[in-house]
Amino acid sequence: MTHAQLGLACCSAAPHIMVDDLILGMAGAGGDGVVSAGESLLSAASSEGYHAMMTKSFGSQIRGGESSCRVRLSTKKVLNPGGALDVMVALNWEDFFKFGAELPLSVDTVLIHEEKVGPPPETLAARGVVPREVLSVPISELTKKSAGSDKAKTSVVLGLLSGWFGIARDGIARGLKKKFGNKGEGLLEANEKALAAGIEYAQAHPLAQARTIAPPNGTPGSKLLCDGNDMTAAAALFAGVQFFGGYPITPSTEIMQTLTREIWKYGGTVLQCEDEIAGIGASVGASFAGKKSMTATSGPGMDLKAEILGLATIAELPLVLVDVQRGGPSTGLPTKPEQSDLFAAAFSGHGDVLRPVLAPTDVEDSFRITVEAFNIAEHYQTPVIILSDQEIAQRKEAVDRIDTTKFEILERLKPSAKELESYSRFKLTESGISPISHPGMKGGNYLGAGIEHNEKGDPTSGGVMHAKMNQKRFKKLDPLKQRADLFELHGNATAPFAFVAWGSTAGVCREAYALAKKAGLDVKLLVPYLLWPIAEQVFGDFFASVRHGLVVELSHQGQLYRMLRMQLDVPRGVRSLARSGANPFQPAELVTRLEGLKEMPQ
Amino acid sequence: MTAPEPFQAKDYKSDLKPIWCPGCGDFGVLQGLYRALAAIGRPPHEVAFISGIGCSSRIPGYTTAYGFNSVHGRSLPIAQGVKLANPELLVVVAGGDGDGFSIGGGHVAHAVRRNLNITYLVMDNQVYGLTKGQLSPTSPKGLQTVTSPLGSLEEPVNPLLFLLAYGAGFVAQGTPADMPGLASLIEEAIRYPGFSFVNIQSPCVTFGEDDQQLKVHKAKMKSLASLKHDPADQLRAMDLARAYGTELYTGVFYRNPNPPLPYEELIKIRQAEESKKARPRHNIIDAYLQK
Repeated sequence: MTHAQLGLACCSAAPHIMVDDLILGMAGAGGDGVVSAGESLLSAASSEGYHAMMTKSFGSQIRGGESSCRVRLSTKKVLNPGGALDVMVALNWEDFFKFGAELPLSVDTVLIHEEKVGPPPETLAARGVVPREVLSVPISELTKKSAGSDKAKTSVVLGLLSGWFGIARDGIARGLKKKFGNKGEGLLEANEKALAAGIEYAQAHPLAQARTIAPPNGTPGSKLLCDGNDMTAAAALFAGVQFFGGYPITPSTEIMQTLTREIWKYGGTVLQCEDEIAGIGASVGASFAGKKSMTATSGPGMDLKAEILGLATIAELPLVLVDVQRGGPSTGLPTKPEQSDLFAAAFSGHGDVLRPVLAPTDVEDSFRITVEAFNIAEHYQTPVIILSDQEIAQRKEAVDRIDTTKFEILERLKPSAKELESYSRFKLTESGISPISHPGMKGGNYLGAGIEHNEKGDPTSGGVMHAKMNQKRFKKLDPLKQRADLFELHGNATAPFAFVAWGSTAGVCREAYALAKKAGLDVKLLVPYLLWPIAEQVFGDFFASVRHGLVVELSHQGQLYRMLRMQLDVPRGVRSLARSGANPFQPAELVTRLEGLKEMPQ
Repeated sequence: MTAPEPFQAKDYKSDLKPIWCPGCGDFGVLQGLYRALAAIGRPPHEVAFISGIGCSSRIPGYTTAYGFNSVHGRSLPIAQGVKLANPELLVVVAGGDGDGFSIGGGHVAHAVRRNLNITYLVMDNQVYGLTKGQLSPTSPKGLQTVTSPLGSLEEPVNPLLFLLAYGAGFVAQGTPADMPGLASLIEEAIRYPGFSFVNIQSPCVTFGEDDQQLKVHKAKMKSLASLKHDPADQLRAMDLARAYGTELYTGVFYRNPNPPLPYEELIKIRQAEESKKARPRHNIIDAYLQK
């Protein structure tokens, strides 16, 4: 194995640590290619069988500006992008500092920087963190010498990382061939030379304390490499989506982009509409016509879609709407994650509405949650919101291959031939679900409408029928609250300490939970995938033993916490830990905060 | 001798009693539509009739077709979703001037340029009837209404000129004052293989102006055929359309003599081509397998 050899070669004189988890950060100017380098690293590591995760962050400039990425490699499943970096590569200081808390250093960080930008400025010390090792590397110079131009800078960086930390050297070399192989012999050669130069430099300048990553547990070629948006799109195709109407909006656009490359193969259509309203309108139209239908958006689009969401509820039409959350209100922070659309997902739109809201917690379960959303939408004839967020949507993860044969795909309930003899579209049934016809089905003719209707679908303004129909539309969703499989539980049922987290924050909490356990705390964790309606029983049972708990959310208000308070008696010791988007939580700080609750008055 | 038509006008008539005021122009439009649908002969369950909100948008409920009386101004996007989901359906969209040119005005240009084979009927009465007499986008300048008690200060929308300028392949105008003419215009619009538009001057008996009632229409209407207008002449059509609001021309202003393939047909071609590359459903996600 390359890394083992490397470990021996560079560590004969220095102490050598073998780690199973490595967190790297890179920052530079827009044209520096740090994100591309991160992708190469990720792709190389995942092809060798590592679990991996990459998040990227940009300024909101269209081109140029600052860009950064974090890559976390592990021999085990990666739960979150991690806290402080083990390794940071700064191509210049100005851009690095723009990312602030997104690229936190610790005393254990190995900080690598471009030599020509000079030593770390005072600002770094002012942050109170002095990294253990600061390595000044003539990256540009090495590139020019080895590759003949400045263009292959990222390959030098990959060489350095591979050389120092034993990361996937073979995979990186293969990746270069794939990337540059058909772009002319010269380019590939230049990058190969730059890679070798980086590796050589690293070997010639061993770290004071060598740290290399252990060999992967997975076999090569066993990992899917995908971001949350692509996973959602792929899951939608698997679930049988036939229509997508949408309008481009960051950070959800890739769902539409992926579907519009793929959906035609499966007999479906993507319509890029003139606005957000038309996007959901066309999707509702397609659902009325009998097809599985979806749309995707982010906060501002959620606002615009509210009226037609209400239409889908009263007309009882299945629809999946993905809201990839970003910082709000209004334009807010278009390129940063936040969990502040929960109220909008559950409550936006007028009238009495009950609309299921589901949230995936990472790239992998974006698949399951998307399939689930289609199943719920079709089975219960309702719009379903998937609340993703910028981090899940745009971060790439190398995850285990998904066994799709274990998923059940549900279809809407069609009227029988007998029912079509005297059809009532909105028949008041025991379950609240009535068989649904669609244009083209003989005998199923009815008037779909936003106006209240009787069982046949004829308009009414009578209070008695309105009450019955409201009751029907609420009642049919009751069984959702019994769905234990839409909740993830860890720890002893009797534990007095607890975390509750949803969405991308859940990944941080899973690690915090493990840390707290390790520290001897009797703690449990609840991750709801179903956020609305609130499953009172599930939360109630969970809270029964809890004396100190945190509901952790990346929003100013802590919206889930408030919704829990609205629906059930949350014990006084359970607090909201909420802060605005683009200020990611770190596992260790969550443990500290939870332990800190012991001191709080009950 | 002609073969008996499989469907008659009454087969498209539902049992619901219209909410319209006695004498409303929309009754005539409904009759014209029944006749047109009967002439075309598609069974009611293969017809999807989509509308927004307004007096005229109630019309789908008065037919036996599949209807969708949706939300204000959004009938066109919804109808496009219906047609794309099932291109075999006959899709008709209907609404008023407020629904189409005020709240839903942003959708019209895009529906036109996408060119799905759907028919858009606007019942233009120059006033908001359902909300009881406010200014509409086609109200003449100076009109006094409850929201313009001192007279409106803005020019009306010219629906005919808008649609022609957007590039619609079929643009016509009719009035219930000429029932046979209106029925055949609607039929012709439905038969046109692309986006077709009929502006129907449909008087509001309760809030409309005296000079916009059917009696006046009868005296005033002038058929484009009588002017020897050639519907293939797009420029002349635009010239004639400029008289909207002063003259009442009926008939086809413009019909594209060489209609392009409608959008849904282009999509069928694309689907047929791309379907060769489909993966088995269970393996779709394996496109992301990292080797």
